[in-house]
Amino acid sequence: MDVDEIEEEEFGFSRNYFLAKELGSSSRKKSARKLSEIDLVDEEELREVAASIEPKHEKEVNELISSYKSLYSKWLFVLRSGFALLMYGFGSKKALIEDFASKSLTEYSVVVVNGYLQSINLKQVVITLAELLWDQVKLRQKTTSGSLCKSQQPFNTRSISDLLTFLDSPDLEVEECFVCILVHNIDGPGLRDSDSQQCLASIAACSHVRMVASIDHVNAPLLWDKKMVHTQFDWYWCHVPTFAPYKVESMFFPFILAHGGSAQSVKTASIVLQSLTPNAQNVFKVLAEHQLAHPDEEGMPINNLYSTCRERFLVSSQVTLNSHLTEFKDHELIKTKRNSDGQDCLCIPLTNEALQKLIAEIV
Amino acid sequence: MQHSPEQQYSQEQKSPATNRKCISQSLFSAQVEKTVLLPEMYSPNEHPPTDPLAENNLQPFFVLHKASKSSESTAISPGRPTKRRFDSSPKVSLNNENKNENVKMEAFQCVWSKIESKIKDVLRSINADVFDEIGQWVRESFDEICSCRGPVDPSKSSLPYPFVHNGGLVKKLFTGLVFTKNIETVDDILTFAELGLNLKSRGCYVANISSLDFSTKNGIGGCLRAFMRQLLMVDIEAADVSLLAAWYSDHGKYEKPVVVIIEDMERCSGALLSDFINMLRYVIRILLLNFGTWRSDSLFVKVLLVAACKVSLSVFVLATVDLFKMADNNEWSVKIPIILIAGVATSADAPRNVLTARALQYLSTSIFSLKCPAERLDAIIEAVLVKNCAGFSVGHKVATFLRNYFLRQDGTVTSFVRALKMAIIQQLSIEPLSFVLKLLVDEGDSKRSWNEDLANLPEELIKHSFELPSYRKYSVNRNNHVELNAVSLGHGLSEMQRLQELWRFRLMCLYEAGRYHKVALLDLYLEALDPELYNSRLSNQGCDSAKDRSLLSNNDKLFKLQKAEVTNQVIRKIRDLPAAKLSQLLKSWERLTKGTMEVHEKIMELQSQMVSEDVKSHKAELTDISKRRINRRCLNVEKDACTSNDKAVTLAGQMIRDTMQPIECIPFHELICFKDVDNLQSALAGDPRRRIQIDLLNFYKILKCGCCSNSGGTLSPSMHDTSIMYTLAQEHGDLINLHDWFQSFKASISSSGKKGLKKLASPKKRKENTSSQNNSDALLQARFCRAVMELQISGLLRMPSKRRPDCVQRVAFGV
Repeated sequence: MDVDEIEEEEFGFSRNYFLAKELGSSSRKKSARKLSEIDLVDEEELREVAASIEPKHEKEVNELISSYKSLYSKWLFVLRSGFALLMYGFGSKKALIEDFASKSLTEYSVVVVNGYLQSINLKQVVITLAELLWDQVKLRQKTTSGSLCKSQQPFNTRSISDLLTFLDSPDLEVEECFVCILVHNIDGPGLRDSDSQQCLASIAACSHVRMVASIDHVNAPLLWDKKMVHTQFDWYWCHVPTFAPYKVESMFFPFILAHGGSAQSVKTASIVLQSLTPNAQNVFKVLAEHQLAHPDEEGMPINNLYSTCRERFLVSSQVTLNSHLTEFKDHELIKTKRNSDGQDCLCIPLTNEALQKLIAEIV
Repeated sequence: MQHSPEQQYSQEQKSPATNRKCISQSLFSAQVEKTVLLPEMYSPNEHPPTDPLAENNLQPFFVLHKASKSSESTAISPGRPTKRRFDSSPKVSLNNENKNENVKMEAFQCVWSKIESKIKDVLRSINADVFDEIGQWVRESFDEICSCRGPVDPSKSSLPYPFVHNGGLVKKLFTGLVFTKNIETVDDILTFAELGLNLKSRGCYVANISSLDFSTKNGIGGCLRAFMRQLLMVDIEAADVSLLAAWYSDHGKYEKPVVVIIEDMERCSGALLSDFINMLRYVIRILLLNFGTWRSDSLFVKVLLVAACKVSLSVFVLATVDLFKMADNNEWSVKIPIILIAGVATSADAPRNVLTARALQYLSTSIFSLKCPAERLDAIIEAVLVKNCAGFSVGHKVATFLRNYFLRQDGTVTSFVRALKMAIIQQLSIEPLSFVLKLLVDEGDSKRSWNEDLANLPEELIKHSFELPSYRKYSVNRNNHVELNAVSLGHGLSEMQRLQELWRFRLMCLYEAGRYHKVALLDLYLEALDPELYNSRLSNQGCDSAKDRSLLSNNDKLFKLQKAEVTNQVIRKIRDLPAAKLSQLLKSWERLTKGTMEVHEKIMELQSQMVSEDVKSHKAELTDISKRRINRRCLNVEKDACTSNDKAVTLAGQMIRDTMQPIECIPFHELICFKDVDNLQSALAGDPRRRIQIDLLNFYKILKCGCCSNSGGTLSPSMHDTSIMYTLAQEHGDLINLHDWFQSFKASISSSGKKGLKKLASPKKRKENTSSQNNSDALLQARFCRAVMELQISGLLRMPSKRRPDCVQRVAFGV
């Protein structure tokens, strides 16, 4: 919470600065209306409906995307010259880049990395790239000279620096031989840490690798320092807005109108609770009943909870209770507050309605 | 507390995700599983719900396709671009795209490899002096270490006790600080790599270690590993100094020093670098040491170590030991002559700021300086663009952009070189005939004329070349009607080259004159490229001939041109040059203008005049006795000198006016001169922060749709949802109340025109609309959510914090 506040304050300064610079800031709308005033629909329904949203301007969007086809040959030229392509602009560029790859990069093996996913194992990617390059080299050598290089250690047991050295080796004797790596959302959540970016940069810097990447975040360039930009990635920027919906990219994003709804929290809580032992569920129920019975109080003092639970043979010692409480806290099912007497009290951050629903669900 | 941009970025981005995670971690993962598993829930026999690509969308990575075999037929050879001639057989037609691409590629490889090698040469020669100096210093340091060591018994090198013979200990680690004079280390990566090669060629073992190896995460093991990897050529997990000693006694035979080059000292973790320096000094035989568990920030390390003791008794110590308090008398620098070279970007204080006092006291520093980036840039411009090594040149606007980008934004030579490469690529993509660049390069190399290559060109291309604006302008002006064929194109190209040559020599003459006043070539180059300046000079000349010349000399008029400040300054300063320098200058001019008779003669004449003056004054000194006379003579000489200075000035002015024709004023220049500054700029450094916002606000301009463009200002429901939302967001302050935002979104979608909604919704949808109000609510909310999500992906919003659950924050202000 403290960190949150500090952060808020810091942003306050910069916000004020920019607001002061904006014209007409005096007429800004200010309002304290609650999201809950909207009659929110269920998340499931929302997701269902969202999947079937009719795209607007479909024709124009398609025309725009196919207008980029005329640039494919130029992009290929740029890639072959040793630059990496960086696509940016509003709209999903996934289909566009993959179309480019399957139309123009047929001579080269192509690996696609979905950066919008939560976790990506880059070492596996490097291994795959090395294997593909090796295949490509073998293919070329068979047709040209017929002599194959000596067999070597399998790639998946080598270290990443070894693999990168292979991808960068100047003595492959095959001219203009490279593999392509397409990275959708190189600024995506799974790749946003500096280690991943360093790794991607050293992949891109290899002489037998060409990279095509896309970014969507306006601040994405801040991920890279000058060394990465100028000598490793060597970006050639392409502004290609598509206005295509971010269907795949937004798969894991929460719906803003759904998270605050009580239905959401109840469902979450019940899933968590159902995975716990019956005793733990009952401890939670004791807490919930107390909260329903005393809606005006700050919460249930821990001592009271302990004695009630002991009476009902739910816990045998303070330690067991604490372990249950830790579990609840981890899942944000309860919060600790201090009441006016200075006692630590436990409360469930749900409305009474939601709580009732929840109790009904876990019975 | 300040956030670094990166942190800020990640916070900005993380916060929504983490919030969400906190609220419902389990649900989130359940959701993920649900979605991830979805495609797999269908058995292979059943019809798949979506195309197979959908499955790939959920893989972290996948192979899109493997290389097809067709590549051999089209692959070309970058390694030996000059061997293959441009295939100019009539087969080449505009339709044959593949062929065209290859011709382009070949031209690019040819031109770029030439330029690249030239740049490397230039940088190498600019660093040559410093490298020599460093090499000599390394040699001297090595000698000093050797002199302390006395005769060496190689068998003792890895013994755990000291074997110093003559008692003279080298307490110091010889350290060379190389000042890069450049806050960006990008430019220096190449420099230090070159330095490494240079030292290797002088018989040193060299290891280049970058600051990345000195990160606290990897600990000292990381930098040791990097060190060993380069010297021993093996990747050792548990790097050990004793391995190094063993290797050195095997390979080095005590004849070669080991040089460790650290590229950017300031970026290294100070504690780690200090440890490293300490370690280089001490003999510590470490057994069973897993460096991975070694915490770099504390020197207290739990290790099993056999410490070498002074009493030449090996004692096993199993304890928590302060590593660097042990073994105080033994020196690695004796056993392995290690010399450290570190790049420093800031000032001589850097080591003091980075290192601990303890490490600092062991350093014996020497200081070297590299040339500053502006000097390097000047050298590159001279070699590549002015001397025109590959025939390629850039227009005035592009040059101005490059200069400003260098001076105001980037400051690195690397980005300048990158921009040059991009310019060549774009030139080749824009201009179909620009592959003549390759012919120019070839001609320069082998003195082979291009006429037959041109003669084989297809008709269309020839025709195209005569339709270039520069040629049209030229032919209109001259009113000449040349036959439009390959021969005249060839003549045109030769003429262009001739003029370029003249221009180049004149510019170099000016630069020679400017050198005395430290004028940057870049500035002169820019002015020399300016076509407007040239044209106004020409028109000025026209006026002059009509007017009375007695009042103002021709040159003075020339100097009146307001814009050519640097050029004029240089010419004016020639007047102030002392005689010795002037004759020096004339000599260099003479050298430069050998090709052109007219000017050359004039220079010779001036030179001989100066020589005779010199002789005169010399004689005067010898013969005349009375001081008064000498004085008078001197005055005379000065006056003469003045006149020869004046003549030089006149000459310079004449040269500029007559022969310095900028490339953009020469017909056919479009073939070899790149002018599209906007394209270059957008490719060199994208501006996602601005462009993405503009995409959203002006989306109709990009989509070219009829329905939204004429709405002007007001929001029409047919607009892209996210666009509507972002436009609405502009009305809010830093915080956007979600409720209000939703309501205004709803209003602009539905109320402002029922028509829009109807047009939008399919007949089926409309039925549903009438049937249930609820559904349309859901649809609206879904659209709202989708738009918020898209804005979130673009990074234009921060999600609600716990303190303000009903508001999102705007991140970007002002386009």
